[in-house]
Amino acid sequence: MPKPVITAFDWVPWFARGQVRDLRVRWALEEVEQDYHVRYLPQGTQKQPPHRMLQPFGQVPTYEQGGLTLFESGAIVLHIAEAHGGLLPSETEARSRAIEWMFAALNTVEPPISDYAIATLFENHEPWSEPRLPSILARISERLDELSRRLAESEWLDGDFSGGDLLMIAVLRQLKGSPLESTHANLGFYVARGEARPAFQRALAAQMAGFTAEPPPEYAFLDRPPTDQGESK
Amino acid sequence: MTKPLLTAYNWSPDKGAGLVRDMRVRWALEEVGQPYDVRHLNWGEQKEPEHRARNPFGQVPAYEEGGLVLFESGAIVLHIAEGRPGLLPEDKAGRARAIQWMFAAINTVEPVLWERVIAKVIEGDKPWTKDRLPAIDARVHERLGELSARLGDAQWLDGAFSAGDLLMVQVLRTLGSSGILESYPNLADYVARGEARPAFARALAALRAGLTGAPPADWPY
Repeated sequence: MPKPVITAFDWVPWFARGQVRDLRVRWALEEVEQDYHVRYLPQGTQKQPPHRMLQPFGQVPTYEQGGLTLFESGAIVLHIAEAHGGLLPSETEARSRAIEWMFAALNTVEPPISDYAIATLFENHEPWSEPRLPSILARISERLDELSRRLAESEWLDGDFSGGDLLMIAVLRQLKGSPLESTHANLGFYVARGEARPAFQRALAAQMAGFTAEPPPEYAFLDRPPTDQGESK
Repeated sequence: MTKPLLTAYNWSPDKGAGLVRDMRVRWALEEVGQPYDVRHLNWGEQKEPEHRARNPFGQVPAYEEGGLVLFESGAIVLHIAEGRPGLLPEDKAGRARAIQWMFAAINTVEPVLWERVIAKVIEGDKPWTKDRLPAIDARVHERLGELSARLGDAQWLDGAFSAGDLLMVQVLRTLGSSGILESYPNLADYVARGEARPAFARALAALRAGLTGAPPADWPY
């Protein structure tokens, strides 16, 4: 089989580094020890027709291997998990439960967390964002309480580390720097266990090493966190 | 094989529109011709420990079959589609692409539509909602425009009807009577094709027949 090719960005705003969704795919590929190539996209080209042929919503990542082209990081992670050992149990029922956690990460836990990212990063200048924060944080907290109770003292969500843990940890990592980063001790340890995996470390390093381009001029102000831009001036 | 047991509500805030997520699972079961039983919960019981043992997030549906207990409607639909023919292509690449559309429905299209529902219903009385709606609607239109462009003149998203179409049609139905879907005639026709399937009609009738309960006394809307 030829090596798969994924797409990723050559530059993103400071707050997205280490979070862009190709990380999920890189992590899965590293877990199953599958080498891959990366095609880097300059910002903006993801919305142009050539990339939209691969990804109708103009996002990264995509995944190409042989004649197959896929988008949606969750679907790509599942495809990798099905094609290689190591991310899904072989027993039928346990396999379904691991996939259940993949969907839970993306459809139950991630939406309120994305809402927080929109309010604090993309719409932080809008007048509605600050008054909405308490209700957004309350919705995330409810999910974290529930997840924390279910995880309890376990190492992973259901038996061995799986594609479900991979996506759940990738989703929870988005809370870093938020007021909810360390409200649930067992979830904090869970994320730390995921991040300590050598495959995660390799994936993160590879994503970070790929940000080699200068920002487009109109986004230059997003190249660094505001506190780094010199409060002395 | 034992009949699967689905957990659903006996009352729902959508007044039987079939937007509660057990609809997806009912529809999938009808498509593959799998009979099932339903356990109905009173509104509120989904947050009780008994149901949380089935679904830690206190939601419906849950799905039980033999010793297997599953939650997350997308995962349940995939489980049904993997065990029985009719909802996923047999060739590997076609199967992967159908699953890709399942994830696109629930992780790319649904969040922006759901954001709109939260704004209109749960935050409908908040002073900022009116100013915020145009930004939400812009995101909704961006996604729908992209989906419409990809669907083009095709009947379904990738070849024959699949579990990806099932979830996408159900997600688009979230738009309800907002009038937004009508700006995209091919998407409106796509949803209508889904709703015209006999399995969809059977699923919706069964869902409605189960709505025999009363709203909670303190229901605010």
